[in-house]
Amino acid sequence: MSEAISQPSTAGSARRVLRLSARGLLRDLRASDVRALFFALALAVAASTMIGFFLDRLDRGLTRQAGQLLGGDLVLEQSRPFDGELRRTLEEAGLSLSDQVGMVTMVSHEEAFQPASLKAVDDRYPLYGNVHVDLGEGPETVARGPAPGEAWLAPRLALLLDAGVGDRLQVGDTALTVAGLVEREPDQSGGFGNFNPRLMIHADDLVASNLVQAGSRVSHTLLGAGEAGALDALAPRLRQLARDGVEVRDVRRDRPQLGNALERAERYLSLAGLAAVLLAGVAVAMATRRYVERHLDTAALLRCFGATQRELTRLFALQLLWLALVASALGALLGLIGQAVLLRLLMTFLPMELPPPGMLPLLLGVLTALAVLVGFAGPTLLRLKRVSALKVLRRELDPLPASAWLVVLVASLVFGGLLWLYSGDLALAAALLVGGLVMLVVLWGLGLLLLALVLRLASRLPHGSGNGAELSQAVRLGGRQLARRRSASLGQLLAFAVTFFAMAMIALVRGDLLTTWEAQLPEDTPNYFAINIQPGERDAFVETLEEAADDRTALYPMVRGRISAINDQTPGEAVPVEARGDGSLRRELNLTWQENLPEGNRLVAGEWFDELANDDAASGWLGAVDAEPGEVMVPISVEDGLAERLGLGLGDRITFTIGGEAIIGEIASLRNLDWDSFRPNFFVIFPPDVLERFGHSYITAFHLDGGQTETLRRLVQAFPGVSLLNVDAILAQVREVLTQVTRAVELVLAFVLLAGVSVLYAALTASRPMRAHESGLLRVFGAGNRLISRVQGAEFAILGLASGLMGALLAELATAGIYMAWFDLAPRLHLWLWVVLPLGGALLIGAIGHALSRSLRRQAPAASLGLLGEA
Amino acid sequence: MSHSSTRDAVSTRDAVPILHATGLAKQVVSGERRLTILSGLDLQVFPGESVAIVGQSGVGKSTLLGLLAGLDQPTHGELELFGQALGALDEDGRARLRAGRVGFVFQNFQLLPTLTALENVLLPLELSPLSDTATRARDWLTRVGLAERLEHLPKQLSGGEQQRVALARAFVTGPELVFADEPTGNLDQATGARIIDLLFQLNREAGTTLVLVTHDHALARRCDRCLRLEEGRLVETSRDEVGA
Repeated sequence: MSEAISQPSTAGSARRVLRLSARGLLRDLRASDVRALFFALALAVAASTMIGFFLDRLDRGLTRQAGQLLGGDLVLEQSRPFDGELRRTLEEAGLSLSDQVGMVTMVSHEEAFQPASLKAVDDRYPLYGNVHVDLGEGPETVARGPAPGEAWLAPRLALLLDAGVGDRLQVGDTALTVAGLVEREPDQSGGFGNFNPRLMIHADDLVASNLVQAGSRVSHTLLGAGEAGALDALAPRLRQLARDGVEVRDVRRDRPQLGNALERAERYLSLAGLAAVLLAGVAVAMATRRYVERHLDTAALLRCFGATQRELTRLFALQLLWLALVASALGALLGLIGQAVLLRLLMTFLPMELPPPGMLPLLLGVLTALAVLVGFAGPTLLRLKRVSALKVLRRELDPLPASAWLVVLVASLVFGGLLWLYSGDLALAAALLVGGLVMLVVLWGLGLLLLALVLRLASRLPHGSGNGAELSQAVRLGGRQLARRRSASLGQLLAFAVTFFAMAMIALVRGDLLTTWEAQLPEDTPNYFAINIQPGERDAFVETLEEAADDRTALYPMVRGRISAINDQTPGEAVPVEARGDGSLRRELNLTWQENLPEGNRLVAGEWFDELANDDAASGWLGAVDAEPGEVMVPISVEDGLAERLGLGLGDRITFTIGGEAIIGEIASLRNLDWDSFRPNFFVIFPPDVLERFGHSYITAFHLDGGQTETLRRLVQAFPGVSLLNVDAILAQVREVLTQVTRAVELVLAFVLLAGVSVLYAALTASRPMRAHESGLLRVFGAGNRLISRVQGAEFAILGLASGLMGALLAELATAGIYMAWFDLAPRLHLWLWVVLPLGGALLIGAIGHALSRSLRRQAPAASLGLLGEA
Repeated sequence: MSHSSTRDAVSTRDAVPILHATGLAKQVVSGERRLTILSGLDLQVFPGESVAIVGQSGVGKSTLLGLLAGLDQPTHGELELFGQALGALDEDGRARLRAGRVGFVFQNFQLLPTLTALENVLLPLELSPLSDTATRARDWLTRVGLAERLEHLPKQLSGGEQQRVALARAFVTGPELVFADEPTGNLDQATGARIIDLLFQLNREAGTTLVLVTHDHALARRCDRCLRLEEGRLVETSRDEVGA
């Protein structure tokens, strides 16, 4: 390089570029495309950080709540006491421990005797949550169990024993004072394994009672509370315990039953967050196009004044980097506020002490903004670097726009990366990406066809005079302008279609989620369970119930049986090591028989009994009634979750010991069932005529309004042996969660809608100069304000209509895929979508576009014509 | 480097030319035809002189200006700017060569519509290592009589005022050479005359070399030399012949 060229120092040049970029950005803030860019980036960051912050905190909160429902973060259960070595290990890992002993025992008050489900707790009970108990002065919540010498009873036990607070009860060898009526225990999980009402005493009194003897059926439970890290560190030991036959439950795997609805909500939030990011990306891409076009002159002038390509690239990249950083900061702030609002909406349900927001979502948010900028704006920006200085003399010398395919490809790769980052699922991200690209190609072709159709239809519109003719003239001119400007229109068409698609999809999924949740828990969802109905009482009970209850489920017979062998091996040998401590192997199971597949159950493998009965080869089991026990194989239907845990499939054989007899069942079908349904559910169902000879009782669930206390009393009096369980409180809690989750979902939906509006704004801003030029020309040729206004309105409306159609198609296809793959819901067709999206699109784009071009119509044609290529 | 004798050209001074073109040719491909705009064009411009290039419209004046300023590359021929062969430099090298040393005035002003008058004048300064840029820009705008319009956007200025901003922008970096492309082309006669006065006044005061392309004969006559572009070559004309 010659000395003649003044070569300033690199540092000086870098400083100059830095200063120039900052100044340039400040000046640029006047431009609408920069504002659109800023808005879109801030929105992307706000949406992703809001959802990131929220899900992060929710996840930690849910783990805490799971701990409450379980009674601890870790629950170990076995039939003998736990040894000191294990306790020390757990304590050294950082867990605080509490012991419980459970058994069924008889308890008496004066002349009344009742079996009770006894739970002896120590001084550390409960590790989490509070006990709702009436200590004689109305219901209150306390964070302790009964003191030594005290007994707390379930209200039903008090009723059956005719005992009240202050009365003395005999429990084994010791006498205790009734000190409280337990309404709700914090660690009361939903199962009905034991129908006897609760008797809670202190562990010290259990020793005094002498109830625990060699051979008595006692379950020892060791509960632990501590950090998640402690559980991770204990993982190998816990696996060993499970292999040794200890039932191990931990918060990370055994989530509360409410999980189903919340899990869907979490997924919905992630999906909505990604939709907002995608839309923001589209807005960024559109705004960048305009930004670049507007800066071509600047770039050419700067080239003229001696700027190098490198300096130009650095200059504009830095300008946008400033923009992205400021937008990120604002977006993160909005995200923080947003997550606080989300949490407030969900507060009554969430544990009160949520951990503070972490840094990770913040970093992810900034990363998202930069990724969106690089991915959606990068290729377009490179155009500025390629501008020729000669453009200052010959205006038409614009560098070629970045290839649309390159833009889409880079944006897709970056968005795919974000999908991967957020979902943590590479296969899913890749599938969505490929699916998205295929759809884009299809949309591109469809868009071309639609534009050709518009052109053809526009030319067919009649010429003439009168009001109708003027309208048809407007549509003809507007349609032609749109269709002739093919590549620009196609870009807008695709952008709007993707926008409508994302908005519609998020709205659709929301609607369907809510419908599903509502359908799951309708008004008359059973709120009472009646257990232990004896065969002799059955008809009378049903009769009494039919007069009063709004809705009730079928009566299910129940026989208690224990799994004694699997495929002729002991259960411990037959199942995977992790399942050796599974509750189903350690307790008696409730078995039932049914002729038909119960409501709410779905067959996922095999055939139901009636199909089998028609099948000659398999009908041998019908003879089982008269056969000797164990001689004939009986087909059974097993819940798919249990089968999976125990590693069982169709054709596997389970031996049940019922009342001293063995019955071998061969798995003929697997069922999926909804444990959140508030209906009696069974792990194992037998065909009719097999279990009748064993002692059985019936269970049913029904709904009673709050006012029907009279019915309740009649039932309790007429059927003293029948246990009635009120699940109103649990039901209310589930409903409350659904309501709150719904509100959270709506808040996120608002973000997606906002992102959609940012796309509309960016796209319409970007096309403003071109439209100004066209309307200026029309004006020169003698068109009046009214006509120009109508032409513009018609053009936007056609654009909205076409993109609405394409968006509807895309939304139907995508929701069908997402439902099946992600939410486990059946896909459905949404006919209204095909009406609302095109019409709504025409109205929305028509109105916004028309309003945004109002100032153009006020301009003199000379100004409009000069506007092309300028701000 | 001095070419004191040339074929078509024009000046025979003994100084080192600031701009030196030899056998310059430019062809463009338009459709299937190859169009020759310039061929075998020679030119020497010496420091401090003002040279007008005239010719009918479409004859290639702007193309020549683009080549001379290094905005475009010739098909054949050699060009030296400030003693540096432009052919040996890439696009970025040519840009660096121009930085701070070459000023431009355009027919369509080329002011950036989103920048104020002051910001437009600041633009080339921001690429140069000069300090006190804002003061400098303000001084130059004052010199062209726009002290009161510093914060106005181009659309708030008249054509003459816009061209005055462009003049301030061209001279603000203290360039050695100023190119002007039809500087009065978009202005009425009276305004054009005032702009010409201003242009020559600034040129004289700054001791700048001026190369301007115009079909405005009044403008051309005020230059030291007049060259007519005909059939791709430059022909020296006396200033009196220009109008003929």
